[in-house]
Amino acid sequence: MKGRPLIGTLAVLGYIIMIVPILFVVAISFTDSQTLSFPPKGFTLRWFGEAASYAPFTSALLNSLGLAIVSTALALAIGIPVTLAIQRGKIPGKSLVEGLFLSPLVVPELVVGLALYQQIMVGLQQTSLVALVIGHTIILMPYAVRVTGASLALADPFVEEAARGLGASPFKTFMTVTLPLLRPGIFSAALLSFITSFNNVPMSLLLQSRKFHTLPISMLDYIQQSYDPMIAAMSTLLLAGTIVIAIVAERTVGFAKIFGGINK
Amino acid sequence: MSAMSRKPLFLLLPGLIFILLGFAIPSGIMLFAPPGVGTGEIFVRLGEMLTDPFEQAIILRTLGLGLIVMAICLILGFPIAYLLARSTSRYAGVWLALAIFPLLLSNVVRTFGWIVILGSKGALGQLIVFLGFADEAPQLLYTELAIVLGLTQLFLPLAIISCYSAVAQVDAGLDDAARGLGASKTRTLWTVVIPLSAPGLVVSATLVFAGSATAYTTPYLLGGSANRMLSTELFSYSAVTVDWASASATALIMTILVFLVSGVSSLATRRKGMVS
Amino acid sequence: MTIAAEFIGVSQSFGDFLAVDNLDLKIEEGKLTTLLGPSGCGKTTTLRMLAGYGTPTKGRITIGGKDATTLPPEKRNLGMVFQSYALFPHMTVAENVAYGLKIRKVAQPERTKRVMESLELVGLAHLAGRRPKALSGGQQQRVALARAIAIRPALLLLDEPLSNLDARLRVQMRSEIRRIQAETSLSVVLVTHDQDEALEMSDTMVLMREGKIMQQGAPEQVFPAPANRFVAEFLGYENFIVDPTRGLLTVRPEHLRVASGETEPALASAGLALPATVTSSAYRGVDLVITTAVVNAAGEEVPLVSTVRRDSLAAGFAGHNRGDKVTVYTREVDLVSLPG
Repeated sequence: MKGRPLIGTLAVLGYIIMIVPILFVVAISFTDSQTLSFPPKGFTLRWFGEAASYAPFTSALLNSLGLAIVSTALALAIGIPVTLAIQRGKIPGKSLVEGLFLSPLVVPELVVGLALYQQIMVGLQQTSLVALVIGHTIILMPYAVRVTGASLALADPFVEEAARGLGASPFKTFMTVTLPLLRPGIFSAALLSFITSFNNVPMSLLLQSRKFHTLPISMLDYIQQSYDPMIAAMSTLLLAGTIVIAIVAERTVGFAKIFGGINK
Repeated sequence: MSAMSRKPLFLLLPGLIFILLGFAIPSGIMLFAPPGVGTGEIFVRLGEMLTDPFEQAIILRTLGLGLIVMAICLILGFPIAYLLARSTSRYAGVWLALAIFPLLLSNVVRTFGWIVILGSKGALGQLIVFLGFADEAPQLLYTELAIVLGLTQLFLPLAIISCYSAVAQVDAGLDDAARGLGASKTRTLWTVVIPLSAPGLVVSATLVFAGSATAYTTPYLLGGSANRMLSTELFSYSAVTVDWASASATALIMTILVFLVSGVSSLATRRKGMVS
Repeated sequence: MTIAAEFIGVSQSFGDFLAVDNLDLKIEEGKLTTLLGPSGCGKTTTLRMLAGYGTPTKGRITIGGKDATTLPPEKRNLGMVFQSYALFPHMTVAENVAYGLKIRKVAQPERTKRVMESLELVGLAHLAGRRPKALSGGQQQRVALARAIAIRPALLLLDEPLSNLDARLRVQMRSEIRRIQAETSLSVVLVTHDQDEALEMSDTMVLMREGKIMQQGAPEQVFPAPANRFVAEFLGYENFIVDPTRGLLTVRPEHLRVASGETEPALASAGLALPATVTSSAYRGVDLVITTAVVNAAGEEVPLVSTVRRDSLAAGFAGHNRGDKVTVYTREVDLVSLPG
C-alpha cells in the first residue's frame, strides 16, 4: 500500500463496508436494553438465552440443518456422475451440457422458486418439503458439478490409464484412483452447498409452509415484527457457528481453493 | 469404443432429467405459460408494466441500483483484489480469508447489521447528532442509500474473489517489465494489469449486477415499502396477490435485465479481447 | 530370435487423420526397441495401441504370440511409464509401486519385498514413505519406472520418459534405463524424438514418419547408412549434393573437410572434391563450424557445412574467412548414396 494512497484508501473502505456491520451486530447483542439504540447500555447475556430458547428459532434451526444436509447429499449424488461424464467422458456438446448445469447460477433464484411454487406445490399438489428439497438441490447443482470437477480437471489425465495398465478394472480404477482424486472437490462442494442451502432466503421464502420454516425465514419474520437485541444475539450465534465452519474449511482444503472453484 | 462412449450418457441421464424437470421446464412454463394464463396475456401485462409510471420507477430503480452497486463493488473490490494478488506479505492469506468469510455468513445477519447502524436510534444517526451535524437523526433506513450499502456489503466478497483470480492470472513479471520500461505504478496498473484482467473484471461486474438486481433480502429489509424493487414486487405478485400474469411479466423483465447486462458486458470483453 | 510383440498390418485413424498406416513391426524379446521420429509421426499412437489405450482401426497386435488386438489394458500385463509419469498423487511412493501388486493379490511379506526390490533397482528405497509431490522430476520418473517394473511386465513401455528432465539428468538416465533393462532382461519399447537418445540406448531403432516405418535396425547399421533423405536429415546429415553420375549423396559435417588450396595430398584420394566459397566460420567449443557454398550442376548455390575439431587444426592456423576460395572434400567411405 506504500505510495498508493488512493488504492489503499479504497481497499480500507471496502473492508469497512464488509466487516463493520457484522461487528455492530455482535456489539448490540450484549446490550442491556430493549432496543437496538446505540451505544449499547450495560452488558448482559440474557438475549442469548432468549434466542436459544425461542421455539420458532430452535425448530427452524433443525429444519434448516435437515434441509441443507438432504439437498447437499442429493445434489452431490446427482452432480458427481455429471462431473465425471463432463471431465472424463467424450460427450458431444460438452460445454453446452456444462452450461445447462451451471445455469441455475444465472437465472434469478426468485424466478426458479416461483416456478416450483406454481407448478410443484400448486400444480402437482406436492408438500412444501418436496418443493424445498427440489429447489435447494437445483440451486446447489452448479457447485456439485463445477467445484467437484475442479479437482479432477487439475489432476494428471493419465493416472487412470496408468491404473488400467497396472491391471485395475474400470470399476477398480474408479474406486482407487478417480474417487480419491475427487475427494477434495467433493468436500469443498459439500461445504459450499451446505452453507448455501442453510443461508438461502428467496427459495425458502417462496416454498415455505406454516409447518416448515427455515432459520433465515424465521429470523426475517422476526425482524419484520420487532427490532430487539434477541435477533442480534441469534445473529451472533450464527456468526460463531459460521466461524467454526470457516476454520474447518481453511484448515482442511483452504478457503481460496474452495471459492476458486466457483469462478471460471 | 462403443462401451466407452455409452457410459457418459448413463452418468449424465439422472442429472439431465433432474435439471430439465426441476429447473428448465418449470422456469420456462412460469415465464411464458403459467397455469390458466395465456402467453398473450403475459405480454399484454408486460406492455402495461413498461408504460405504467409506477412500474417504470421500479424497473429503473432495479436497473439503476444494480449498476451503482456494480460500479462500487468494482471500485472497492478491484483494489483489494489487486493488493492481495500482488502482496508478498505473509498476512495476505489472512486478509483474503477475511474478504471471503462474509460469503459464508447468512445474508439476513449481514443485512441486519445495517439496521443496527442505520436505524432510528442506530449508531450512524446518533453519531451525526453527537457531532452536531443535525438536531435529530436523519432518516437513513428505508432509503435507496441503505439498499446500496446493504447490496455492496453483500456482493463485495464475490467481486473480490473474481477480480482476484483475474489479477492473479496476469503474470507479475509483466508488471516488472512495464516498470523496467519506465512506466509508473499507476501507469502499469492502467496499461498492463487492467487490460489483461479485463475479461475477468467483466465477469465479476456481471455477477455483481445479476446478484444485486435479483436480491430479495436487502430491499425487503432495508428498502421498506417506499423503495420497491423487481424482486420484492415479484414476491408480492406471487405470494400476496397471486397474480400469475403479473408475476410472469415481472420475472421476464428481471430475467431480461440480467441477460441484457451480461450480454452487453460479454460483447464488451470480446471487443477488448481483440485488442489485448 | 523370440518375438515379444508384433504389429501385423496395423492402422489407426482419428477422423480423417491417419496416425499409423499399415504398420508391420516385430518387437524382439529382451531387447530395447526405440520408436523414433518427429512429433506427429505416429510413434506414441503405436505405443498406446500396444498398451491397449486405443484399438487399431485395421490389423492385429499380438503379445507373447497371443492376439491382443482388442484386449483391455488391464489384461495385457505391460508396464507403462507415461510422459507425465501419472503417479497417483494420493498415495506414497511405496503405495504407488504396490498398486499393481495389490491388484494381482500378491500377499503381504512378498508384496513389500517386491516393492522394495523395485525401489532399490531405481535407487529410491529411502523415499518409500514420501508423496510424489515431494519428489523432484527425476525421482518421480524413477518411481514411475519402479511401479511399472514391480508387476514383472511382459514388456516395459516408455513414452518419452526423459523429455521432462533437464539436459544433464537426461543423459544420466539413458545409461540408468539401460542398466535396469540389462538387470531385469525386460523387453523394452521406448518412444523418443531425440536421435542421440535412440542411438545410445537402442538395440533396435525404428524411424517413423507419417505413420510409416522409414527404416529400422541396430543403431550401428542405421547411422552410417540412412535409407533415405528423411532418415539422413533426422540423424544429423546436413550436406546433400546431387552428383550428375551418382545421384543424391549425403555426408556428415564432421566428415566434410575444407582445404585452403588445391594442393593438399588428401585431395588425390578424395571420393568427392568441390570448389567452394566460405560463407561463415563459427567457434563452437571443441569444434569449428565452417559453412561454405558450392554451385551445383543446375547452377544453384548449395550450402555445405563442415565441423572440424579445433585440436586437429595445424598450429598457427588462423581459420577461414568469409569469401575465401576453398575446396571441400570427403573420403569415399563417408559418402552415402540416397534414393531420389
